Amino acid sequence: MSLNLGNIIFKPTEQYHLNDITLNFEPGKMYTILGRTLSGKTTLLKTIAGLLSPDSGYIQFEGKDFLAIPVWQRNVAMVYQQFINYPHLNVKQNIEFPLKQRKMDPNLIEKEVSDAIQKVGLKGFEERKIQELSGGQQQRVALARSLAKKAKILLLDEPLVNLDYKLREGLREEFKKLFIGSEASQSIFVYASTDPLEAMQLNGDIIVIDEGKILQTGSAKDVFENPANAKVAEITNDPAMNLNKGKIDNNKLILNNEIQFNLPSNLQSMPSGDYLVGIRATDLYLDDQGFDFQVDISEISGSETFLHLHHQDTKCVATIEGVKSYEVDEHVKINFDLSKIYLFKESGELHYSPYQN
Amino acid sequence: MPKLYTFIKYFCVILWSCFVIAPFLWAISTSFKDFNSVTGGATYIPWLQFEPTLDGWSVLFKPGSQGGINIIGPYFNSIFVTFTASFISIALGTLSAYALSRYTFKAGFVQNNDITFFFISQRIMPPVVLAIPFFLFLSTLGLLDSLAGLILVYIVLLMPIAVWIMVDFFNRVPKEIDETALIDGCNPFQAFFKVVLPNSIPGMIVAGLFCIIFGWIDFFFAFILTFTNVQLLPVKIVALNSSITPWWSLSAAALVSVAPLIVVAFVVERFLSKGNLSGALK
Amino acid sequence: MNFKHKFVFLLPGLIVLIGILIFPIIFTVRLSLSGWNSFNPELDFVGIKNYIRLFTDDPRFWESFFRLSFLAVTTVFLQYIIGFALAHMVWKDIKFKRFFRVLFLIPMMTTPVIMTVIWRTFFHESLGPLNDFLSIFGVQPQWLSSPGLAKISIIIVEVWQWTSFMFLLMLAGLLSLPKEPFLAAAIDGASPFKKFMYVTFPLMAPISIGAIIIRLIEASKIMDTVFVLTSGGPGTATETSSFYIFIKGLREFQMGYAATMSFTYLIIMIISLTIIAKVLTKVLMKE
Repeated sequence: MSLNLGNIIFKPTEQYHLNDITLNFEPGKMYTILGRTLSGKTTLLKTIAGLLSPDSGYIQFEGKDFLAIPVWQRNVAMVYQQFINYPHLNVKQNIEFPLKQRKMDPNLIEKEVSDAIQKVGLKGFEERKIQELSGGQQQRVALARSLAKKAKILLLDEPLVNLDYKLREGLREEFKKLFIGSEASQSIFVYASTDPLEAMQLNGDIIVIDEGKILQTGSAKDVFENPANAKVAEITNDPAMNLNKGKIDNNKLILNNEIQFNLPSNLQSMPSGDYLVGIRATDLYLDDQGFDFQVDISEISGSETFLHLHHQDTKCVATIEGVKSYEVDEHVKINFDLSKIYLFKESGELHYSPYQN
Repeated sequence: MPKLYTFIKYFCVILWSCFVIAPFLWAISTSFKDFNSVTGGATYIPWLQFEPTLDGWSVLFKPGSQGGINIIGPYFNSIFVTFTASFISIALGTLSAYALSRYTFKAGFVQNNDITFFFISQRIMPPVVLAIPFFLFLSTLGLLDSLAGLILVYIVLLMPIAVWIMVDFFNRVPKEIDETALIDGCNPFQAFFKVVLPNSIPGMIVAGLFCIIFGWIDFFFAFILTFTNVQLLPVKIVALNSSITPWWSLSAAALVSVAPLIVVAFVVERFLSKGNLSGALK
Repeated sequence: MNFKHKFVFLLPGLIVLIGILIFPIIFTVRLSLSGWNSFNPELDFVGIKNYIRLFTDDPRFWESFFRLSFLAVTTVFLQYIIGFALAHMVWKDIKFKRFFRVLFLIPMMTTPVIMTVIWRTFFHESLGPLNDFLSIFGVQPQWLSSPGLAKISIIIVEVWQWTSFMFLLMLAGLLSLPKEPFLAAAIDGASPFKKFMYVTFPLMAPISIGAIIIRLIEASKIMDTVFVLTSGGPGTATETSSFYIFIKGLREFQMGYAATMSFTYLIIMIISLTIIAKVLTKVLMKE
């Protein structure tokens, strides 16, 4: 019952949209496809759905050649980021649509539809027209329609990105609960997102994609703690992980030839040489004994402040708790939590992670 | 200077309104005249300047055998031809427009935009260019002077309009709705008929209105391609424009033929205000 | 998307159109290469003799073409300005808005030929109301029998008939404009003139271009009006290309030559309209 993609290539223009993708999806599991905008997430989902045909490669589902089956015969469901529903039908008719198309027994349809409506919390809205609903409600209708289909593959393309913050949090929790339902029914749940935080919260298997290529797959914890390379480290963190050129020499860790630390104990066994040094924004902190940095930009987000800083050639972003105001060019003193340093080879591959055993 | 602007505005609007109404008023007045009233010099107001008669009007409904002109036959012919041709044009045009909006075509160097241009370029052809070949074409098929032949020709005139309006319209219906229908189990035809079409009614109405208008007002093709069996309204009326021009019945006939589309004008205005037309026309 | 489906959608319309058109087009080209006329009604082959005649020995055709360009450009220009102005005036803030809008739409709904027949009586030099009115001022212009005035008569009729169409397109365009730029202009305290020049007109640029192109295409086919009002006269003062082709083809029955003119005319039109479209886009979009 698994879904297998092999060597999928999709190159409609000069650039690759999907560059040699090989993936395996097991039933009953949740997968998050994490990547930046235009990295190929939507293209991948559409290829699985059948809306796009790859130039080469194979897709197998339940042992059958999926590519030979047209869209309308594959048992998939898809929820878009723009709330897509049938505008000329009301809520109930929208959810019924795929079931009627399948010519299901009307009694069974009634049951499935009311089940789905119940699950997404839209009881009482059956007769409403789509245009009368709010964004969150419309997206729930789309979700209900997908659930009612009891599709074997459920694809969601950044479904919450057009909703406000609070709603997003709430619906994300509901997704997870609904998923437990599909776990039981052995469906494959694929959720595309640009937000690493969202990927972490969903806590499924993560597939990191960039420029049409798969960079890493693994559990959420694994991908987050041990990014396969510097690119993955950028994508899986928001703000992106700070990366600076550095070297280990003479028992010291030196960044950009200007900032020096005594080599911490966890890095003692590392050979000398040039590295790409990575550290998360949250692992920098204000410290009067620290190094002198100047503020370039100060951003406030939620209950945190992001400081974009530079010290001569070294640039980094630091996350400061609380909402504080900083002036441009103001001087602050920053220190690094050396126990959380990542080392990447100059080519980008992970050399050392603070979480590896 | 808002006050001055308002004054100018009303002045211009009223001036233009008079210009618009002028020929109608003249026609109405003339339709009630007879030979003497017309040839004696220009006259305007009935009863004051001339004796009104209903000659001009009554003669319209008398069949030719009784010395009348009878426009009822041509009237219905016009309606039949216009509506049938519009219907077929919209049906076929919408299908083609949908294909041009949703799919990519490539046959050598010919692409979507070229095909759309081909459709629309039919409007560039002056009737006279097509008239002679169509004349021969229809006579080969034995369809000269027939309703079917004329409908065939009108389809060439009207389908481009339908395609032009519907392509634009479909481009503004999100493709994702089609995709969702496919995912929900519809093959492309079902997706079109069950989902896209019900949401395209405003566009089709606009296309319909334009087709009807441009079909109804045609003169040239009807003139060249029909003679006695089939007569369309505009032809009939112009035929009256002979040397002994009966101004009165001419005016009456003109007013009668123009009346139906005044209703259409109302419909169009309502559509405009509701905002449906604006979207479709962009 | 499946390969087959898209053709099933596209082809019915395309095939019907081509099917009905193909014979006439091929025939026209073939005819243009023949010497079909009333003395010699057969499809012989004279090569490009007709085309040579057209380009070297027929000033009348080219004159008619210039006349056509003059009439088309003038009428479309007037229609655009008046139509836009009217649309702007009945856009908002005016009493009896609906009445005026419906009234202004009516001319385009009327059959041009029929209205032209009425105009013919209107312009009648001795019995028509226009000269009757003008006789108060002592002028009796010869609307239909003097070359210059005949052109003006045609322009008047065309403007009456088709400004309405421009009006419709412009009004639809105005009604679909977003509100935000206007709110911004109001906040900035812009005068109505400034508002028009810097907000309304630029926003309407794409629609203006579309409307002008469409009207130019339709205007270049001026036929009905000429046919009824002046029959191309007096002399050839109002003879447009279409009318000249009509005379040569269906009055003098020089079908071969008429076909040559038709085909040449078609090519010229397609080329010029494409160029005009591109130029207009550049000019109006720059603002």
